[in-house]
Amino acid sequence: MIWRDEYKIGVDLVDEQHKELFNRLGDFIQTVRSAEKVAAKKAEIDRTLAFLGDYVVTHFNAEEALQKKYNYPDFENHHEVHEQFKSEIAEFKKEFEASGYDEDLLMEFSGYLLTWLINHVAATDQKIGDYINSLNEEDTK
Amino acid sequence: MDVRYLNPVIAATDSVFQTMLAVKPEKQNVSVGTELVTNKEVNVIIGMIGDIKGSIVFSFSREMALAVVEAMSGMEMQKIDKFVTSAMGELGNIISGKATTGLAELDLSCDIAPPQIVTGKEINISSEAEKILMVTFKTKFGDFDVSFSIK
Repeated sequence: MIWRDEYKIGVDLVDEQHKELFNRLGDFIQTVRSAEKVAAKKAEIDRTLAFLGDYVVTHFNAEEALQKKYNYPDFENHHEVHEQFKSEIAEFKKEFEASGYDEDLLMEFSGYLLTWLINHVAATDQKIGDYINSLNEEDTK
Repeated sequence: MDVRYLNPVIAATDSVFQTMLAVKPEKQNVSVGTELVTNKEVNVIIGMIGDIKGSIVFSFSREMALAVVEAMSGMEMQKIDKFVTSAMGELGNIISGKATTGLAELDLSCDIAPPQIVTGKEINISSEAEKILMVTFKTKFGDFDVSFSIK
């Protein structure tokens, strides 16, 4: 996946985690799109998806802790978006297994993840950075 | 139907392309019609309910859909597969979600449905719309149309 510096929110910990998320989703998509049949790469799909899912939790927790520290006014909504995303990943895992590892389902879900993550980092999370920066500006006034 | 309803859709398209893809889409001509026929192969349809009933349709050429997904993923895309259509569907969903926020500022409360994808050549999207407003945008990835049809 392509990381752009414009995606930075200006908080080092979060920016580093976002880069890592891009790497992990990139690995998952590479696995999904490799030429092998789904049956042959089942284990690797499970592994890269679990790797991504674990990091999503680590990152969301860190980002929410930051929001709480600064009393971020949109915390509730943002938290809800995170919760929904986590349950979408869990839901997909179940559905994918139940479908007998259906390739279309896998391709569809990974395409969705690609666009979702870029938008979440480039648009939704920017507001946290903007808010924290506005507080810092207040302080220096 | 009021042409100013189109403004939030144009603004949302502009903003999402700039934040996600660092590309400023150049607005070309706006046209009004009653039928939506397109030769662009990747169409994302977002149904709308509430104060406005209708749909927003994003029509991308095959080349543009592939180029956008390549720019996001950093991987080579050779054909319009489920990965590409789903990524473009979510892009349409994000733009439309943002457009509903803009419509709310005009005191229009609307909800959107999950994206539906229609691919192929010479597509006729029947919408039972009274009027369809279509705007074409030019980008470095290619041209695309955004049609707003209101029942």
